[in-house]
Formats: sequence, structure tokens, C-alpha cells
Amino acid sequence: MHSVMDSRPFFEDYSVKPMQRQFSPYADNGGSIIAISGNDFVVIGADTRLSSGYSIYTRDQNKLFKLSDTTVLGCSGCWCDTLSLTRILNARMQMYEQEHNKKMSTPACAQMLSTMLYYKRFFPYYISNILVGLDSEGKGCVYSYDPIGHTERSSYRAGGSAGALLQPLLDNQVGMKNMQNVQNEPLTIERAVGILKDTFISAAERDIYTGDSIKINVITKDGIKEDTFELRKD
Amino acid sequence: MSILTYNGGAMLAMKGDGCVSIAADKRYGIQMQTVGTNFQKIFEMGPHLYVGLPGLATDTQTVMEKIRFRKNLYELRENRKISPKVMASMLSNMLYEKRFGPFFVEPIVAGLDPVTYEPFICNMDLIGCINKPDEFVVGGTASAQLYGMCESVWEPNLGPDDLFETTSQALMNAFDRDAISGWGAVVYIIEKDKVTIKDLKTRMD
Amino acid sequence: MATERYSFSLTTFSPSGKLVQIEYALAAVAAGAPSVGIKASNGIVIATENKHKSILYEEHSVHKVEMVTDHIGMVYSGMGPDYRLLVKQARKMAQQYYLVYREPIPTVQLVQRVAAVMQEYTQSGGVRPFGVSLLICGWDNNRPYLFQCDPSGAYFAWKATAMGKNYINGKQFLEKRFSEDLELDDAVHTAILTLKESFEGQLTADNIEVGICDQNGFRRLEPSHVKDYLANIP
Repeated sequence: MHSVMDSRPFFEDYSVKPMQRQFSPYADNGGSIIAISGNDFVVIGADTRLSSGYSIYTRDQNKLFKLSDTTVLGCSGCWCDTLSLTRILNARMQMYEQEHNKKMSTPACAQMLSTMLYYKRFFPYYISNILVGLDSEGKGCVYSYDPIGHTERSSYRAGGSAGALLQPLLDNQVGMKNMQNVQNEPLTIERAVGILKDTFISAAERDIYTGDSIKINVITKDGIKEDTFELRKD
Repeated sequence: MSILTYNGGAMLAMKGDGCVSIAADKRYGIQMQTVGTNFQKIFEMGPHLYVGLPGLATDTQTVMEKIRFRKNLYELRENRKISPKVMASMLSNMLYEKRFGPFFVEPIVAGLDPVTYEPFICNMDLIGCINKPDEFVVGGTASAQLYGMCESVWEPNLGPDDLFETTSQALMNAFDRDAISGWGAVVYIIEKDKVTIKDLKTRMD
Repeated sequence: MATERYSFSLTTFSPSGKLVQIEYALAAVAAGAPSVGIKASNGIVIATENKHKSILYEEHSVHKVEMVTDHIGMVYSGMGPDYRLLVKQARKMAQQYYLVYREPIPTVQLVQRVAAVMQEYTQSGGVRPFGVSLLICGWDNNRPYLFQCDPSGAYFAWKATAMGKNYINGKQFLEKRFSEDLELDDAVHTAILTLKESFEGQLTADNIEVGICDQNGFRRLEPSHVKDYLANIP
């Protein structure tokens, strides 16, 4: 033991006493997701920046995962967990299709995701998930999750590193919260995509983990249409 | 949990065309329990000068008393009204005096210069580092939500009426997503020849 | 130390109600080198004699006209060492003010604070009053200011004044010459003329000092510049 009385210099690397090192199994790779649903469509957008601390790994990382022709999952948080989760999710989708001879519906997929997340209750996937798609009636739906599988269906949601910045804006612009004397006319795809882009522009101003560009998926009964939109890159 | 989030609260100030706004919620809570719904944290420091002190409620009041004391002495000594700029510097200086045992407030100063009526807004951290942007400043536990709102609803050269609407919408939608802010709000619109104070009816949950 | 515990103020009332220590201090001022100050419409001039007893003396090394801040300057009549302490204090107070308020100190404020220091030396134990009177000039609020500060701590706002040796004659001279709409250039001329009234010997650029203050701030005139003004003096 190195005592105060010891006048020799102390070099930690040459110390023989036992030392404990901490391994952190999680990383926060940032990223934000926004989903907005309408009567017969749903749009989901995710930024394409992948970062860690003050460094950017890539400016072009797609965080939207197509699970079926009518279901898309957006993931942000710990990227390695995202890879692992989506890999298993795809396998489970395939198994379902082969066992039941039909495509999995969006609500069924949403329930399965919740179960899969809770399965790892004590070593969770560190991901903010937003699952979107069309339900059996063809209506747009948005499911959001916490890392251990709590889920909620809503008509719009913001998640990820800029979730707190974006959500009140969606409340206002999509949910018409705190608005007086406005009739809630049905949302169009154009307006939903417009709001989505605007909110991302705002988030990119203040959240360093959100930026570069966004990938947008528009899901209708005719399929999934992809789009990209540039954000600020600093 | 930080002492800054012990009582909760949301605040923002915006610059308009020849006018400024400052607004805050009215909740006073102890962590997740709401104790009062009429807590003042924006204070009049002159005909065109308001100081907001979001943070720890006890320090809100102590710092308010201290700056009022210093402001009164300044105005007697110099026989003139204190300007927002000087108020900000004085406050920053006062906070830094307690660099290693700070007051847990992140003040916002908003007002018009008493001579030129030029709009002024700024905020600072709890040890007095001043930030003077051209558009808006936010503070309190809902600052992330406020940044998101302000960044998209604020635009340059807003008149007093539009500034009121913009400020109110930004504040209400932001604190509705913060569990420890809200429960009513107050908005001050400061113009050259009048100050309008409006209480907002908001959701109370 | 025990001796310090019983150190009383030396400035005490005489039975007739006078403070003779202060009168002695004023006498020291009246015996000192003359100085003048004149407020013009667009600035202020302060000037003083800086006569040297020996030709060996290095001129333009130790100054009597000093800058306090960018927009305030001062000069004195009386005892040089006392003056330098006050200059040091004044500069410190000006910077102190700037540090707190981020605004240049108003001339009135500086004068009040310097006067407070001088007053303190009339009531404190173990010290004597300052043997100087100050002329403080400044430009703020878009107008000129000229103040005189006495050893007692009293201060006066002047349009023009003279202090030191022969100050009564100097003031009489100024009363005749002063006018409200004087320009700064003319004021410098008048100030030099006032010094000339009581000057023994030949006025040169090496034995007077001139400082001017206008909206561009305070500066001490270079000897070459003073020479130009002297050229116009009969």
C-alpha cells in the first residue's frame, strides 16, 4: 500500500495493488425520430447523424427500419442495441410469416416489440423506439416505447435526443394544443411532412446530436415512399 | 437531482420590434408535489425593466431582495434609472461573488433602455455568465422544450400583439410537456409607453 | 501594537470651530504650482505649470496631468506624492465601477468617490489630510464636466477655475476672459494665458502641461502641440 510516509514516487501503471475498471455496456449515439399519422397514412422521419460525445461517427446513417410493407421502426439511442434489436425483430417477422402464412400487422408487430423489450427488463436495449404503420383498417398509427417495453399508441410522437424539444411543437402544430377557435381539419401528407421538416430544422439548431439530414418514410396503402431532406451540418 | 430543479418553473424572454416580452409559469412545487399556483418569479425593477429568476424558490426571493437593494442604492447614488444592461452586469457581478457557493437561479433580464428604448434581453447561468442573443432566451426546468418551441415560432420584428401570441404559445406548449412547470402563467409585454401584464389560463395538471 | 490602538485623528476642531489641519492643507495647496481648468462648449482643458529647479532635470518624464479613464483626466496643485496616491485610487475606482456595471464611470461618480477618500483622511486616525486640490475633467452624457476637489473632501463644479499659487489673480483673469460659447481651441489658449499671468520667466512647451478632454476622450497634449499654442501667445 502506498502510504503518505512513503517518499518514493507513485506510478499507477506499475502498482501491484488490485484495481477495478468499469466497463460501460451502453453508448448514447444520439439521434431523433418524429412520427405523424393521418387517416390513411403515416410519416416517420429520423435524422442521419450518428455520434458519440463530441464526435460524429457518420452523417449518413439511416435509422428507419422497414419491417414490412406497412410497418417502419425508427430507433435512436444506443446504436449497437438498435442493430441487435432490429436483427432479431426481422427474424421474428420472418418466423411469423412462415408459421402463420401471412404478414404481421402493425399492431401485432407493436405488441411483439413491447414483449421483446420487456424480455430484457434487467439489461435493457437502450433505445428510444417509435414504430409506425397502417393498422388492419388502413389507418395510420404511431407506437412509442420506453427502453423496457412500455408502449402507447398515439397520433404523433417525437423521440430521441431532441424529443423534449420537438414534442411540444407537435402538440401545438399537430395536436392543436393551446389553440382557440380552430377546427381540426384532417391532416394531409403534405402538411405532415412540412411540420416534420420544420421541427427537425428547429431541433438541429439546439441539439448537437441531431443534424446533417433526415430520412423520411411516407407509408400509405400504395407502399412506402422514401425522401431525404438536408439539415445543418455543424 | 439538481437543486435547480427542486421547485420547477419555466421562463422565457423574447425580443420584438421596439418591444420585449418576458413570461413565466406560476407553479411553486416541492419536487413532484405542487404547493402553490401563484408564485411570482418575474420582478419589476424599473418602468421598462423586469428581472426573472427561475430556479430554487428561496434563492429567487433572496436574489430579488439583493438586486433590489443594489439597484436602489445605484439609483440614489447616480440620480438616474438603471438600464437593463447595467442591471445585467450588476447581477452577473453579484452572482460571481458567490462563485463557490452560488445562488441556484438562472436569471433573465428583459427591458428597454431608459434613454434610447432599445430592446434588451439576456440570461445568465447561476454564477453570472451572460448570454445576449438577438432573438430569445429561455430558463428553468422546461428549457429544452422552450428551445424547441422558440426556435420554430420566433421570428424577427414581431409587433407587441404578435410577440404576446408567440411568447404565450411557446411558453404554454413547452411547460405542458414539463411535469414540474405550468399551473398558470403570466406574460409581460414591455413597450415604450406601456407595459401589458396578462395572466394566461392554462391546463392545471 | 499598543501605539496604534490609541491613534487619534490629527484633524480636530479648534475652539473657534475651525479645522486648522485642513486650513494648513489648503495653505499647502495655495503654495503649490498653479493649475487652471476651463470648460468649453465642446470640451475641457486643464493645464498646469511644471517648472524644474535644475536644468539637469529630465523634462516630460514625470507628469502632473494624468488620465484616469479614457474619458476622464486630472491635474493638481499642491504636493506631488499625495497626488499620485489619489491618481492611483481614482484609476482603481474607475476600473472597479467598470467591472461591476460594464459602463464607463460617470465623471460625477468618480469625483464623489475621490472626494470621499479625501474626506476619510480628515477623520481617520494616524493620517493627515491630503495636501492637494484636484481638477478633474471628464466627458460623458455628451457634455463636458469640470470639478475641483479640496483636501476637506469638498468638491465644486466649475465653468473655469484656477488653483495654487496666485489663484485669486488667476480666477479674476478667467472671470474677465470666460464666455459660455468658448471653443476648445480658444479655451486652451485662455488656459495658457492664465498660467502666463503668474508665471515667472519664459513659458515653454517644457515647463507647462496641458490636457484636453472632448467626445473622443481625454489626452495629454504633446510638447510639440503645446508649442503650436504658445506660438500664438504674445
